[in-house]
Amino acid sequence: MRAVRNIRLCTKDCLCLYVCPTGATNTENGQIDWDKCLDACRACVDACPSGAICKVPHNYPPQQPKTDAVISAMNRLSRSKGKQRQAARAMQAQGNSPIARQLGQALEMSVIVTAEDLAREAGYMLPQSSEARAFLEKLLDEEQGAEFPADAARELLNRL
Amino acid sequence: MKRYRCTICGYDYDPAVGDPSHGIALGTPFEDLPGDWVCPVCGADKTLFHALAEPGLPEETPVSAAIDAQPAAISDAEKAAILSNLARGYQKQFRADEAALFTQLADYYVTRIGHEGDVDSFRAALKDDLSGGYAAAFEAARKSSDRGALRALTWGEKVSRIQDSVLGRWADKGDSSFEDTKVFVCDACGFIFLGQTPPDICPVCKVPAFKFNEVKRGA
Repeated sequence: MRAVRNIRLCTKDCLCLYVCPTGATNTENGQIDWDKCLDACRACVDACPSGAICKVPHNYPPQQPKTDAVISAMNRLSRSKGKQRQAARAMQAQGNSPIARQLGQALEMSVIVTAEDLAREAGYMLPQSSEARAFLEKLLDEEQGAEFPADAARELLNRL
Repeated sequence: MKRYRCTICGYDYDPAVGDPSHGIALGTPFEDLPGDWVCPVCGADKTLFHALAEPGLPEETPVSAAIDAQPAAISDAEKAAILSNLARGYQKQFRADEAALFTQLADYYVTRIGHEGDVDSFRAALKDDLSGGYAAAFEAARKSSDRGALRALTWGEKVSRIQDSVLGRWADKGDSSFEDTKVFVCDACGFIFLGQTPPDICPVCKVPAFKFNEVKRGA
């Protein structure tokens, strides 16, 4: 487990600096130095009066198993959200007033969040999952345009 | 007189109380509220309310259970959503490098998403979701005791209703009914809020106001 700091909550009471046995919290980038942070230590988490520090696991348990019926029903909605995103982009590209384009942008942002949430609950919760790995491998196998960032996909497969 | 419940945030309009915040006197039936009256909590319009059969009990809504077959190919927009969601997953783990790689892949598919469609095709797809897609998914998730899916569907269905309401208002009244309002989108659930300042907590997913992003009006 590694300690991380939520900058939005940090009120610079700096008790983490005082209690950390290795100086991992003493950085200038607002984050905690994971090379120095001790796996089993949580001194900073317990000392922080603003609750701004937590420990992030190295490994997560697998996502709750998804039944075929749930995946199929979520995919049906995901396809529909894809069409909605296209229409929202059309409103932005072809909208003939600032308000039409503004609404198109807001609707696209909104559709993206719902589509991501459906993907999450159709099995793609964790980047470090067999589902995410299989998905990246499938993309690499598919015929892709010249602009496809294959290096990014391979680098992720190395790191997952 | 019948009470009406907001399907977005759960606020109940009670004619015995009225809505003093909008100058609605006690004793005003829901049917007599002005057409531009909106929910005092979340801003949902009148069409997003449903009558309560008796105090406290929502009316049963019909459920369709059709689940369609899954085609093999998924669209570029769906790939983009899977990849940007995995980027979010890494952001939550404070792994910025890996999140950036997933974002790079997502952006590739975003550039390939077409611009086919308009307000009508948008609303047709939303109608498909709201008249069958969500009901079928809710039923599948209930049978599988999939609480994660149930949570996502609860948020998504409400947000889809708000999207349809925004599109409907724009189709009916055009730009003029948006001139004096700002537009905010919740980054956690996608709820769209029209008003001057976002609510203290999101009426759909309950995150604090700082999770709302304002969508500015360009030239």
